[in-house]
Formats: sequence, C-alpha cells, structure tokens
Amino acid sequence: MYDKKVVRRRRAVLGVLVAASLLLLTVYFGENGGGFLHGVQRGTSAVFSPLEKGVSVVFRPISNFTHWTGDVFHAKKENKQLKKEVQQLRGQLAQAQTAERDAAELRGLVGLQRTSNFADAGKLVTARVISRSPTVWYSNVIINAGSSDGVHVNDPVVAAGGLAGKVTQVTGGQSTVTLITDQSSNVSAQVMPDGSSGIVRPDVGDPNNMLLDYIQSGAKIAKGDSVVTSGFTSSKLDSIFPRAIPIGRVTKVSPGELDQYSRVHIQPYADLRRMDYVQVLTGTIDQARAQVIK
Amino acid sequence: MIVTPAAIVRLVLIVILTVVIQAAGMQGITLLGGTIDLVPLVVGAVALWGGAVAGAAVGFSCGLLIDLTLGQDVGSSSLVLTAVGYFVGRYGELNEPAHGLLPVPVGAAATGGYLVGTTVVSLMLAFDASLSILAFRDMFLTLLLNTIFALPVFALIRRILRPVLARDPYDRRRRRATAIESGPIGLRGLGM
Repeated sequence: MYDKKVVRRRRAVLGVLVAASLLLLTVYFGENGGGFLHGVQRGTSAVFSPLEKGVSVVFRPISNFTHWTGDVFHAKKENKQLKKEVQQLRGQLAQAQTAERDAAELRGLVGLQRTSNFADAGKLVTARVISRSPTVWYSNVIINAGSSDGVHVNDPVVAAGGLAGKVTQVTGGQSTVTLITDQSSNVSAQVMPDGSSGIVRPDVGDPNNMLLDYIQSGAKIAKGDSVVTSGFTSSKLDSIFPRAIPIGRVTKVSPGELDQYSRVHIQPYADLRRMDYVQVLTGTIDQARAQVIK
Repeated sequence: MIVTPAAIVRLVLIVILTVVIQAAGMQGITLLGGTIDLVPLVVGAVALWGGAVAGAAVGFSCGLLIDLTLGQDVGSSSLVLTAVGYFVGRYGELNEPAHGLLPVPVGAAATGGYLVGTTVVSLMLAFDASLSILAFRDMFLTLLLNTIFALPVFALIRRILRPVLARDPYDRRRRRATAIESGPIGLRGLGM
C-alpha cells in the first residue's frame, strides 16, 4: 500500500530533525554566553532587527486599539484599586519625607554623600519593546535601543513601576533584556521599612509571583511592604543594580515558610508581560566603581 | 507537496514572515486577555496541506527561528514544533480529510499540542519551575483564540501553497460531490 522508500524517507526526516533539536539544546546549555550558538543568536537578532522594527510599527495601531479596549473594561476595577493605593501612599509619603529630611541632616553631620534616587546613578535611555515570547516560560524581551544608544551588557532596565531586568545581549540598534522572572535571575534586595535583606528569585512559570529568599532571621515583614534593590548582586562583586530601585510588594507572608525557608512572596511592580516601554540605566556600573574608588 | 524551488521559496517566506509577525506584531495584541500564537496554526496548516515531511521541516525551521530571534533556549521550540508538524501531516496523509471546517479542530489540536509540548519541555529544562494558574489561563486563552482564527489562517496558507501542492483536498471534495449529482431527467442517482 505504501512505498517503503517513502516511509523510510519520512521517518529519516523526522529522526534527523528531532536529533538536531536535541543536539542544539545540549550544545546551547553546555556553552557559555560567548559560545557559538549564542553568537548565532546575536547575529540572527541583528539581521532580523530592521524587519521586526518595521512589523512592530505596522502593528502598533492594532496593538494600541486592543490595549485601549482592554483598559476600558478594567478601568472601574483599577480605579477602585488605585484610590485605595493613593490613600496608603499619602501616609507613606509623609513618613518618607520626614525620614528623608532626618537622613539628609544625619548624612550632613557625618559627611556622607550618597545619591537618593536610582535615576541619579546613570543616564536613562527610553526604549520600546519590539518583540517578546507569547508564553510564560520565556523571560526575554527585545528592545529598540542598542550600543549606538549607549546601552551596554548588564545595564539595569526599569519599567513603569519598578525593576524589569538587565541587558544581556547588545547589537547596534537593539538589545535583549533578560527579565527578573528569568530562572537565571538573582537580585539582592531589601524589605522596606524593616531593612532586612534577601535574594529575589523568580517562581518560574508564574511571572506575577516572585520569591524573596534567604531573609535574615528575626525579620519583621508584613504584607504590603516594599522590596527594593539593595545595591549589589549575589553573583558578582560589582554592583549591577543601583540601590533603591523598587522591585515589588510583599503579597504573602506565611510564618511557617518564613521560619523554615526564610522566604516570602512578592509581586513585581512592573507589569512584565504587558510593558511596552522601558528605561535602560546606562553607565551605572562605571559610576558605582568610581564611587567605590573615591 | 511537489518539492520544487518555487515550493521551497514559498515555505521559506512563510517561515520568516510567520516568526517576524508573531514576535514583533502579534505580541502586543491582546484579545480577551490572551494573545494569538500564529506559529502552531501555520505549522499545522502547512502540514495538513503539504504532508508530514513538509510539516516537520517547517515546524523545525519556525521553532529554530523563534528561539534564535527571541533569545530562547535554542532547540526547545523546534523540538516541539517538529513533532506537531509531523503528526498533523500524518493525520492529513492517512485520512485525506476535505471538510470545510477541518481547520478548526486541526488548528486547535496543533495549538494544544504545541502548548502542552512547550510546557513539558520548559518544566524539564527549568530548575524549580511550577505550573501556575496564570500559565493555565494563558494556555486556555491562546487555544481559544487560535481555534477562532484557525479558518482564515489555514485558508491563507492553502492559497499560498496551492500552486505547489500535488493535489488540493478541496478539489477532491468537489469531484466527490459531482459524482452524486442528479441525472439527465433531474433525479439523483439516475445518471447515465
């Protein structure tokens, strides 16, 4: 009924393609960031960059329309939530202003100089997200700013509301941003106002939930507390993220989990799955180094 | 499918345009809180009209290009999409279906297979990964939207591939319909 030659050829094609996929996966996981496949990835990104930018511009009106429609449906719920948040923030603002004034006076007394805002640590480059994966499993986005805009590898990236990730690949006109929800991400953080520190790690598969691990014992953390960057990473000595970039809000504190695993759950401030614009903090590492040397 | 330079050019263009439109165009379009994923639909359509070999080859190429352009784990998407393309193609070859609404279940099956496959591969590759309600919700919405958009996407791919197809399944359906047409005196079954 079936030609044996055709059957053999069909099975051979399937076998070769599956074997090639497995080989690619093995090589990709086995090599470092400067390896062959990573190089091919960077090259492909650079080649497709103009095409992606063009398609992104063409589809922008449709995208804006669907966002607008979605916003209309969510406006009532969001308005109620924001009013509640404004009430809370008014109280926190008054406390923060008092604390800032006290801190400035104390810094003046001991002759300590420090930037109070993370944006002061470097230059901000605004960029648009031009492509991203549609699934929850991948945490990379491509932005339309690259080395020609002054963006470097490891530059921190912030989105409306908080920390989004860091630049991991740069070409002339675009960059790949690895989000804080990527499995490789570890961000050293502090819980405010308690001040206790820990490491923010992703809960892979759930971008709306992150884990603050390795919290110091005796920490007094409550639901709603803010989590900000503490100014150094867990894997490198140099600071990648400047101090005080908001990361998220504590959403779940379970006494058992806190005691046993030194862990609480947080929700990122930045809407990492829907963000359209980001800001890259360029030059922060150099400035941090300069401050240390000084 | 007849493998000619024209067929290969068409397939290459389909792969490149699908990946670029999905990565840069569709990513910002949210409907009912979810996003359409064109890739499994296109792979399913090529496989259904072109057969298992064409389906597997286009699945592999689309997956590889997605992984390379989006900075994903190279090989993961191509592994899943190769399987999706091959099995949809085999279904088409064995059953030779010609129903007009066939793209709807085939599109849903291709999308479902792709989403489940991607989830399994991601859970195997990622350390300490979990399957959240959000992931389920996203999968359901993508499946729903892809099922809705299957008909136009399959129709477009069929239109592009038609000149290079060995035989068009809809032509066969039309021939079958002609065979049972009415006879010379207007009564069905009395044809001479």
